[in-house]
Amino acid sequence: MLIELDAVSKIYNQGRANEVNALTDVSLTIAPNSMVCLMGASGSGKSTLLGILGCVFPPTSGRAAIAGKQLSRLPDRFLTIHRRQTIGFIFQQFNLLPSLSVLENITLPLLPLGVAPKARKQRAGALMTQLGIGHREKFPAGQISGGEMQRVAIARALINDPPIILADEPTAHLDSRLSLEFMEIMAGLKAAGKTVVIASHDSLVTGHRAIEQLITIKDGRIHVP
Amino acid sequence: MIQQLLEKHLNILDYALSSLWRRRLKNGGVMLVFAAVIFLLASFQMLTSTLTKAAGDVLAQAPEITIQQMRAGRQESMPLAYREKLAGIFGIRKIVPRIWGYYFDESTLANYTVMALDPTTMPRGRDLRTALAEGELPGQETNGEVAIGAALLAIMNQGERKAFSLFRPDLTLKPLTIIGVFRPDTDLLTGDLMLMNMNDARDLFALPADRVTDLCVYVTNPAEIDTIAKKIAARLPDTRVLTRPQILKTYQVVFNWRSGFASICLLAALAAFIILAWDKASGLSPEERREIGILKILGWETADILAIRFWESLLLSALAYLLGCTAAYLHVAFFEAGLFRPIMIGWSVLRPALRLVPAISAGDLLLIFCFSVLPYLAATVIPAWRCATVPPDAAIR
Repeated sequence: MLIELDAVSKIYNQGRANEVNALTDVSLTIAPNSMVCLMGASGSGKSTLLGILGCVFPPTSGRAAIAGKQLSRLPDRFLTIHRRQTIGFIFQQFNLLPSLSVLENITLPLLPLGVAPKARKQRAGALMTQLGIGHREKFPAGQISGGEMQRVAIARALINDPPIILADEPTAHLDSRLSLEFMEIMAGLKAAGKTVVIASHDSLVTGHRAIEQLITIKDGRIHVP
Repeated sequence: MIQQLLEKHLNILDYALSSLWRRRLKNGGVMLVFAAVIFLLASFQMLTSTLTKAAGDVLAQAPEITIQQMRAGRQESMPLAYREKLAGIFGIRKIVPRIWGYYFDESTLANYTVMALDPTTMPRGRDLRTALAEGELPGQETNGEVAIGAALLAIMNQGERKAFSLFRPDLTLKPLTIIGVFRPDTDLLTGDLMLMNMNDARDLFALPADRVTDLCVYVTNPAEIDTIAKKIAARLPDTRVLTRPQILKTYQVVFNWRSGFASICLLAALAAFIILAWDKASGLSPEERREIGILKILGWETADILAIRFWESLLLSALAYLLGCTAAYLHVAFFEAGLFRPIMIGWSVLRPALRLVPAISAGDLLLIFCFSVLPYLAATVIPAWRCATVPPDAAIR
């Protein structure tokens, strides 16, 4: 799916004393079936850009579109529906619900879609086997290792089979071996036809061979060296 | 499409159930407190309905019209000859003279109700016999026989003895013998009752032979009670004419007044609980806010999150409602509403020992539901809606 941003800006707390210009006049195009890395220091605006790409919130101004559909004009409900059909999220903190089991965490996105328990288990089972966490199915997510949590988060992002995967600092809490392992999984997803966008300042990510496009963000603007 | 929608709501219900289970300690505590408040409210409602029904059942045996003479706003004895003045009023089936008075016993510090009439002259006089648990009704030609209420028998502490004495107004002793005891389930009206014949009552109260305290009028057609009562009042202007519906209404007013007073106190407790629930729901914990944020980012709509809250609150409050109402039923049926008897039945020395058969209508249950479950749902779902509408990124930051 083609991702297009045209003169996108995002201002938090607009009109208040604590107003923050997180993104200013950002324009970029991400081709379908590509693997892109958004690079930049902490606070540069990477996560905000990822949030707009992921339909978490609309831009303050400018045009953001996925496969030609304008996100900036969609009301909140349709943004949510578009998000669950199109986007798979992987977070820095994994954002699992620790008291739920691994299986329950992975199948969370399927509940509001009305997928029956048997079908949910089948789809999650295939992903867990693929990612090597099948033996942790019934474990509470709060009681597994960091690497396993990362895989659970990946499985959860893939459970709806979305065409776009967004990852926000996915290797921040992983050692180098697990980070490389993660990047190999992402490369595999790209090879399977998905568009992968990773926000990171980790050299293991930015320097990975599968990354096709490196976009540097500085102070909320795309930085051209 | 419909299958998918149904499946979606089953999934959400399943999630709500597991969410309740995950926080089982907190939710269990809330449910128990809520159930306790509902138990108190339902107990009062059931006890009021039960007592009103019991009074109605017992009063079904009472005369349709009672005539008493009033002077200076107070009741006094009336000439027996008033009976003749009512002759010719169409619809009167029977007029039965009665003596009704009170006796204060200094040894037990209790007031006894003394009643005398001739059951054989009453239209359904034989029915009075069925109210006895043991023994006989006093004969009309005998001397010094009484039938008494079960509560009265207990407080008199007679043991195996049947004979006792009461003081006449001139302080001479009137010897009496217990020959019958009324059933405890009629205690509401017979608990403090001492039934004797007219001669003994006149002797005990030093009442002249030509006077009684009231006349009981039985009518042929109950639909004409009010019309006949008006005719009697016109013929005997110095009397008070009471109809059975009026007496029943007085009982209802007394029970409803007591129940209403207590209900106001309990509703205040319920209101405090609802305010607490609102306060708790509007200030979600960081963990709960984070959960909402994660679910929203994963594609859950605001309506889905609200549906979880709705199911959680409905399950919790419905369970509390069932628990509270069941406990109230058991409290009234098997423990004779022990917690509220003094408030509802009175603080008299002679407390009626009723065997209550709970009487509760669908309307009562609906009323309790509306005053408990619905406010709780509103108090938890509305604040949850405010939290569910926050942007998902704000919730997980």
